[in-house]
Amino acid sequence: MSSPTNSASARIQLPSKPRDTFKLVLSTVFVVLIGWSLVSVDLKWSRLLDAPADMWNLFGVMFDEFPWTSEERTRMIGLMWDSIAMAWIGTIIAAVFAVPLSFLAAENLVGRPIAWVTRQVFNILRAVPEVILALLFVPVFGLSPMAGVLAIGVGSLGSLGKLFYEIIENVQKGPIEAADAVGASSVQRLRWGVVPQVAPELTSFLLYRFEINIRASAVLGIVGAGGIGGALVDAIRFQEYDQAGLALVVVILGTIAVDTVSGAIRKRIVAGRAVEVGGPDDPMLAVSPGAALLAQEPSR
Amino acid sequence: MIRFEQANVIYDGGVTAMKDLDLEIGDGEFVVIVGLSGAGKSTLIRAINGLVPLTSGQLDVNGHDVPNLSRKERRALRSEVGMIFQGFNLVDRTSVINNVLMGRLHQVPTWRTLIGRYPDRDIQIAARALQRVEILDRAYVRASNLSGGQRQRVGIARALAQEPKIILADEPVASLDPPTSHVVMKYLQQISRDLGITTIVNLHFLDLATAYADRIIGLRSGELVFDGPGSACDAQVFEDIYGRSLTADDTMEKQAAL
Amino acid sequence: MSDERLQLPPKPKPSLFAIGVWVLVVVFTVITARRVGFSFSGIIEDLQRPNPVLDGLWNIRWGEMFSERSRKAFVETLQMAVLGTTGGVIVSLPLALWSTEVGNPYVVPRVILRSINNVIRSIPDLLWAGLFVLGVGIGALSGLLALFFFSLAVMTKLTADTLDGIDMGPIEAADAAGASHSQMLRTAVVPQILPAFSSYALYDFELNLRASAVLGLVGAGGIGNRLDFFRNRGQWDKLWGLVFMFFLVVFIVEWVSVRIRRRLV
Repeated sequence: MSSPTNSASARIQLPSKPRDTFKLVLSTVFVVLIGWSLVSVDLKWSRLLDAPADMWNLFGVMFDEFPWTSEERTRMIGLMWDSIAMAWIGTIIAAVFAVPLSFLAAENLVGRPIAWVTRQVFNILRAVPEVILALLFVPVFGLSPMAGVLAIGVGSLGSLGKLFYEIIENVQKGPIEAADAVGASSVQRLRWGVVPQVAPELTSFLLYRFEINIRASAVLGIVGAGGIGGALVDAIRFQEYDQAGLALVVVILGTIAVDTVSGAIRKRIVAGRAVEVGGPDDPMLAVSPGAALLAQEPSR
Repeated sequence: MIRFEQANVIYDGGVTAMKDLDLEIGDGEFVVIVGLSGAGKSTLIRAINGLVPLTSGQLDVNGHDVPNLSRKERRALRSEVGMIFQGFNLVDRTSVINNVLMGRLHQVPTWRTLIGRYPDRDIQIAARALQRVEILDRAYVRASNLSGGQRQRVGIARALAQEPKIILADEPVASLDPPTSHVVMKYLQQISRDLGITTIVNLHFLDLATAYADRIIGLRSGELVFDGPGSACDAQVFEDIYGRSLTADDTMEKQAAL
Repeated sequence: MSDERLQLPPKPKPSLFAIGVWVLVVVFTVITARRVGFSFSGIIEDLQRPNPVLDGLWNIRWGEMFSERSRKAFVETLQMAVLGTTGGVIVSLPLALWSTEVGNPYVVPRVILRSINNVIRSIPDLLWAGLFVLGVGIGALSGLLALFFFSLAVMTKLTADTLDGIDMGPIEAADAAGASHSQMLRTAVVPQILPAFSSYALYDFELNLRASAVLGLVGAGGIGNRLDFFRNRGQWDKLWGLVFMFFLVVFIVEWVSVRIRRRLV
C-alpha cells in the first residue's frame, strides 16, 4: 500500500500508451477512401441543398390525387399481391432446394471437399442481387412473374443454404452420435438426428427470408419480371407522379403488413422453442439479434 | 455528515425497504452495514446518492437536502459521493484508465468527454487513484483482461478519481474469493483512514464486518436493529440481526472452508 | 422381461399453433403458386428454347471488364457506396440511441422514431432510388441518397437491437459519478457497442456495394446504367463481362471486410 505522505504533488508517469497499428491503418484507409470519394464523385454538391425542396415538391404532386380512384387502387394492390406471391413461391423453391444442398455443405455430415464446393456455389449465388438475376431471366422466361419467381428462388438459395448448414453444424452432436450408436444409416441419421432439432429454426428463418424477399420482389418489375415494380418504373419513365405515390403507399403498407404477420409467427415459433428446449446451450438462443441479422443477407 | 430522519422507502410493488430510519454518520467514519439479503442494505446506500428516492422523510448529505434536489444539484451531490459495486460495473471493452476517468466526468466539460480528450490535470488524478490501488501499470489494458480482484481495484480507483467526501460500497467483495476480499477491504479501510473519506460498506459476511468496521449497523426488514462499534458485535447481536443463529454461510472463512 | 404391456405417457399433441402454421403455409403456397402461374413444365419448355443470355455467356466479352466506360461506372458505384454508407452510419448512431430506452427516457419520441424507421426499412433500395430520380433527377446524387436512407434504416435497426442488450452496470456507475446524460452515453454506452457498430458499418458497406450496382437501372448512376444499356441492346456478351467484373469486386471487398470484422468483434 502506498504511503500517504509522498505522491501528493509528484507528477505520475503513466505507462506508455500501446499503439494499435491495425486500427490506425484501418482508419487511415477509410479516411482516404471517403475523402477521395467526396472529392472525385461526379455530382454537384450544391444540388444536395436543393434536394429537400425537390423531394418536398415531389411528395406534393405524388399525393395530389389522394386517395386515387378505386380502379387504380385495385390495380396497384393486385400488382403488390403479385409481388408477395412471387416472394413466397420463390422462397419455397429456394427452401426445397436449399435443404438437401445444405446437408451437402455441412462438414459434420459430409466430407470437407464436398462441403467446400457446395459452399462456393452458395457464395456465388449470395453475391448476385436478385434484380441482376431477373434481368438475365427475363429474356428466357418472358416478361412474366415466373422470371421473378426464379430470380427470387435462385437468389435466396445461397443464403438459405448457408444459414441451414450453419444451423446444422451448430446442432449439438449428441443426437447424431446416439443415432450412430444404434447403427442408423446416414439418411435415417438426418431424419431422426438432425431434422427434429432444427425444424423450428428453419421455419423461422424461412419466414425471415420471405420478409426480405418481399422487398426484392417489389422492385423486380423494373426489369420486367412482374409485380409492382413494373408500375413504378413506368411511373418514373412517364413521370406519372401520382401513380408513383400510389405504388409507394401500397408497397409500404403491403410490406409492413407481411412483416407484422410473419414477425408475429416467427416470435411465437422461437418462444415455443425456448420453452421446449430452454437450455443455455441451445445454439439458437445464444445468437443475439444483431448476430442473427449479420449472418443474414441484405434485409432489403 | 449524513443524517436520515424518519426516512422511508417503499417500492412500487409495495415492498418496504426502509422503515422510519433515524441515522447519523459522521465525517470520516468507516461503517459496515450488515443484514440478510433483502434487508434494505442496498436501498440505504443508494438513497445516500439519490439513486433510490425516499418515499418520505428527511435525508441530509453534506448539506445537500437529498429528497429535494434538482437534477443538476443531484449530479453535484453524486460527484461528491464515490460508489463501488458488487459487479464492478466497468466498461469491459475499454481501457482501465478510461474507466477511471469516468470518475472525472462531472468536472470535465462535456465537449472534452465527447471527443475523449481529458485535461492533463484529470488524467493525473486518475493516475494517482490507480497508483493508490497499485494497478497503475495496467492503465492501458482493457478492463476485460483483468482478474476479479484487479477489476474491483479499478472500481475503487474510479470512485477515488471523483475526489469524493463519501464512498459507498455495495457488496464490494461478494464476487471475490476470500484472499482477494481481504485485499479489497484493506484498500477501502486504508483509503478511508488516509484521506478521511466517510466510507459505508454493505457486507454479507460477519467476520469481514467485525474485522474492518469501526461501526456496524444492522438492518432487518428495512429497520435499524443494531448500531454500535464492531467490538460490541457478538453472536447474540447477530442473531438479532439475522433472526436466527449463525451458520457457516454467514462467515466467509467458514464458508470458504466448506 | 415381462410380457406386460407398457403404458407410455400420453404422447404430446402437436400444438394448435403448429398445425395452424402448417395449414397456413400449404394454403398460402397453393394460392400464390396459382397467382404467379407456376409450372415446372413451363420452365422446362422455356429452357429448351434458344437462349440469347446463355449464348452471351459462352461468348463472354472479357474486354468489357477493362473498358474505359465500365471502369468509370465502377468507380462511380464504389463512390456511391462509400459515401452512402458513411452518411448513413454517422447519422444512425444518434438515431439508434434516441430510439432505445438507454438513450432516450421518453416513450413517445422513441415509438415515433422506431415507427419511422420501420417505414424507411420497408422501402426497397431501388424504390428509394426511383423516388430520388423523380425528385432530384438522374445521376449519382439520387443513388447516393437512396443508399444513405437504406443504410440509415439497416444501421439504426441493428444498433438499436445491440443497445437493447448492453450491460447496464456501467450506466449506473456513470450516473453515480454525477455524469450528464450525454457524458453517460459517451463513456458507458458507446464503448460497449463500438466494436459491433464498426462491424455493422462494414457489413452495411458490403450491402451497399451490391445494391449500388443495380441502382442505375432506374437512372441513379453506377454500373446499373451500363447494365441497362447492354440489356436494351441485347448485348448479353458484354453484359456478362460486366457482371463478372462486379462479382470480382464484391468478392474482394467481402473477403477483406469479413476478415476485418472478425478482428473487430
